[in-house]
Amino acid sequence: MKKTALVICPGRGTYNKAEHGYLYRHHANQTDFIQMLDSYRACQDQITISELDQSPQFSSSLHVTGDNASSLIYGCALADFQAIDQNKIDIVGVTGNSMGWYLALAASKAVSLEDGARIVNTTGKLMHDHAQGGQIVYPIVDDNWVLSPEKQRLIDSVLSKKPDDAFIDISIKLGGILIFAANTAGLSYLQKSLPKQSPYPLKLAHHGAFHSSHVGNVVPMAQQALSVDMLSTPNLPLIDGKGRIWQPQATDLDALYDYTFGTQINSLFDYSKAVEVGIKEFAPDMIIILGPGSTLGGPTAQELIKHRWQGLKNKADFKHRQSQDPYIISMNIDEQRRRVI
Amino acid sequence: MFNRADIIDEGFKRRVTALDLPEITPPLSHTQLGLSAKTLVDWFDTQIMSRQLDLMARRTKGETFYSIGSAGHEGLAAIATASRLTDMAFLHYRDAAFVIQRRKSVVGSTPLYDMALSFSASSEDPVSGGRHKVLGGADIYVPPQTSTIASHLPKAVGAAHSICLTSKTGLEHPLPSDSVILCSFGDASSNHSTAQGAINAACWAAYQNSPMPIVFICEDNDIGISVRTPRGWIEQNYKNRPSLGYIQCDGRNLLSVYAGATSAITTARNRRKPVFLHVKTVRLAGHAGADIEMRYTDMAAIEANESRDPLLVTAALLIENNILTADEILNRYNTMAARVERVAQTAFTRPKLSTAKDITAPITPPEIAFEDTPSLPSLIQHKALFAQDSTQVSRPSNMARQIGYALTDLMQHYKNAIVFGEDVARKGGVYSVTSGLLDKFGPARVMDTLLDEQTILGLAIGAAHNGFLPVPEIQFLAYLHNAEDQIRGEAATLSFFSNGQFTNPMVIRIAGLGYQRGFGGHFHNDNSINVLRDIPGLIIVCPSNGEDARRMLRTAFDLAHRERKVVIFLEPIALYMTTDLHEDGDKLWTSHYTPPQSETTLDFGIPHQHGAGKDVCILTYGNGYYLSRKAEKTLKEKHGLNLRVIDLRWLKPLNETAIVEATKACDHILIVDECRKTGSLAEELTKLLIDNGYDKPIRSVTGVDSYIPLGPAAYEVLPSVDNIINATLSLIGKGLIS
Repeated sequence: MKKTALVICPGRGTYNKAEHGYLYRHHANQTDFIQMLDSYRACQDQITISELDQSPQFSSSLHVTGDNASSLIYGCALADFQAIDQNKIDIVGVTGNSMGWYLALAASKAVSLEDGARIVNTTGKLMHDHAQGGQIVYPIVDDNWVLSPEKQRLIDSVLSKKPDDAFIDISIKLGGILIFAANTAGLSYLQKSLPKQSPYPLKLAHHGAFHSSHVGNVVPMAQQALSVDMLSTPNLPLIDGKGRIWQPQATDLDALYDYTFGTQINSLFDYSKAVEVGIKEFAPDMIIILGPGSTLGGPTAQELIKHRWQGLKNKADFKHRQSQDPYIISMNIDEQRRRVI
Repeated sequence: MFNRADIIDEGFKRRVTALDLPEITPPLSHTQLGLSAKTLVDWFDTQIMSRQLDLMARRTKGETFYSIGSAGHEGLAAIATASRLTDMAFLHYRDAAFVIQRRKSVVGSTPLYDMALSFSASSEDPVSGGRHKVLGGADIYVPPQTSTIASHLPKAVGAAHSICLTSKTGLEHPLPSDSVILCSFGDASSNHSTAQGAINAACWAAYQNSPMPIVFICEDNDIGISVRTPRGWIEQNYKNRPSLGYIQCDGRNLLSVYAGATSAITTARNRRKPVFLHVKTVRLAGHAGADIEMRYTDMAAIEANESRDPLLVTAALLIENNILTADEILNRYNTMAARVERVAQTAFTRPKLSTAKDITAPITPPEIAFEDTPSLPSLIQHKALFAQDSTQVSRPSNMARQIGYALTDLMQHYKNAIVFGEDVARKGGVYSVTSGLLDKFGPARVMDTLLDEQTILGLAIGAAHNGFLPVPEIQFLAYLHNAEDQIRGEAATLSFFSNGQFTNPMVIRIAGLGYQRGFGGHFHNDNSINVLRDIPGLIIVCPSNGEDARRMLRTAFDLAHRERKVVIFLEPIALYMTTDLHEDGDKLWTSHYTPPQSETTLDFGIPHQHGAGKDVCILTYGNGYYLSRKAEKTLKEKHGLNLRVIDLRWLKPLNETAIVEATKACDHILIVDECRKTGSLAEELTKLLIDNGYDKPIRSVTGVDSYIPLGPAAYEVLPSVDNIINATLSLIGKGLIS
């Protein structure tokens, strides 16, 4: 009998030095797909993802910037998605974190692979060129990955005293982590005011104040560049960053467009809620996190712990479960990857 | 043959595969109704989710409970779309599809998982916390109902009436002023007197152009457990009621339901009139899991009924309109079956309620924040309110007046308070307690109702759902009894079954108890309150004099407002006009009215103690306290006994600690209880004292187990001053007076 799985698409920041070469390491056989991506990039006078993946050295300024990272991650993740053996895995739903939403659209065929590439490239470039401010990461769980009311109170207190010129909003709810979107004054205030807890508060390099009104200027640009015509009904249930389920043949494409190139850009992306809805409404046998990288594993596990899902009450429970019969499959981890391809 | 659920399941798949689908008559297209194809698919998803939940419940005995299902009634999904989220819905227990569809409109909600938790009575069920399989949720404006006998109709009417009062309060209320109330029920339960009373009340109001924006949704599946509804009965019964619109639709056809519901809701919203939406549907798989239809219906009729499965109608609509193919429909159906099974199996592993403490926790509703309590008006505002009556108010007055004055101040204090009942407005009440309120606060806050206690209490419950603080009056205690379930089964249970999400705070004034000379006989002198005493969470207050009454009424309002309690304020009619205690003209049973700005509140639960003697302690309340005070004087002056007389004031819950403390030093205890002997408060008090180690003599004087007769004979079955004196003397071993 097939195992059921919720698939999660990664966001920005998941292709780092350790993942350099991921695409060709795992997907040298997916030549058509990679070639399609490369051709598209070449037409845009952009460095191809093959070149990026195969470059002699990893470079933050080359691989992490929005215009390149987005497409590179898209290529790796969608190639991973296509590598899942659907003869043994029944994918019951797809979601993603942040930019991973665009990937989820492509995975569920709400957009074609080509249009998916166009979306991530376009939005990645728009963000690279026009997004202001930045993001700061701070945990709300303790060392055991259990929600800490004390930390939440502390954060609330810091936010209540922010200076007038500081823009700060919650950008992403990411399991046991909050990601703040802020302008320069806000970033500076958060870095100064949030108690140090290495490596936090952590400012994300090359990130704008994503998922907040501070990047609202990008919305009309995205809508000008990308039309509703590229959307079609998904072939799998899609869970967005508000926890809404978009069902095959029951999806209002105009609403999906408004969400994708409106609400999703300029307001909170609640990844925690997406995971909660995914596990509760589809009760999958496993969660598959597409590569590259496996940084979503921790936040996803923290969300599971919050709901005591699968009996998980803390980090130790999760680690034990993962060592025995992993519930979260990170395709970036070879041993886990083998279970689903 | 007995497992009709499986047969229905297989029948759907077989007939879709064979394209053996019902003809849609009259033809109706989703585009004609301005609906998209995706809406139809979305409704179908809701229908099959509801259906698969029912099928799951039938095969998981021991894991799920209360298997009464929604199969055949899934067309209600369309009414959720036709209405607004804020149109509060009081639902029939077969309306899972409505709840699923409405919850889908709340982004990020988890309707399937929540429903599975409810089926399996998990403590994580977000509706009742595992207390019952109820349909509801504060986020979707659906107060949970456990009603199986249409006892939710009066409160739905009450909520509808309250919507039109909100514009007059100047306050924020939960329901927008253009809301409509939805209230669904079955054809069989529409025969219940409660349903009849509620529909009658809605018509009564609408007939005189009082706004009544409500849609009564009768889900007519032709049968109530095993008893057939006579053919045409619902239509004939409701088609020609005064001021009640009537719309019929085919409950098996989503488009027909949507069209009918849209029309009904539009009428109710725009014209503020009640509408009866007659949804003709079918009941599939019997009344509940344990119900074997073959015992009362022949197989041919069962199969004919099953062939009318509304899911087949939806399949036909989807195929005829080229929205889905048969394969796609079956794939969706099977995918949903697997999904429901997985989610259910997960839900079964979640925790259950396991201690009485946890189970009973929401009987005490969560208190509201202190800042949400309105501040007391100033003394200047109080004086302005009583400007016309200042001379009268300055004089010593009886209990009736003190209650009236206190109510006046309280209505100024609590802008959301509304007073209503039979004769309370223009007449000012049978005993003039509410006299003058109409002039001061107007007809939106002081209302005469029709003569129906179920409606009065239903109005209170419904209005409380909409942020009002209702103060209904039950004219005589005996009149409560035909409406008692509105307190027992509805008001008192709401916080429990909604795990504190919904509350319906109110102060129910009931004029009652014996001894009054004006009206004779049982129906105006009822002396049994047992029907109220065992209701969990209910508070019963009984003042014996004017000063206590005004102060206790203020405490009662505070308990209702701040602690969200349902409070019974039991007013002894015989003491309303009483002014003297020992001699004519001594005025000892009167007091000066003190406004709330000039005296402290009376703490909840604290009894009053008169005297500090230890020879005998009399425990009593209401008229019994008045009589005991008379007796105490005689016992002291003629028999040299030193007594203490304790007025319990708060009859439920009893302040056990205070009672034990007040009595422990006394050599004897006499309980004077004017209510009937059997199941009396006297019994409860005796048990309390013995359980707490009181080992000296206890006696009681109670009412006789009788109804109160007319004339002087009435006093023969009630405690009297002489009874009390004799019982006291007997208790201490002295001779009786003649």
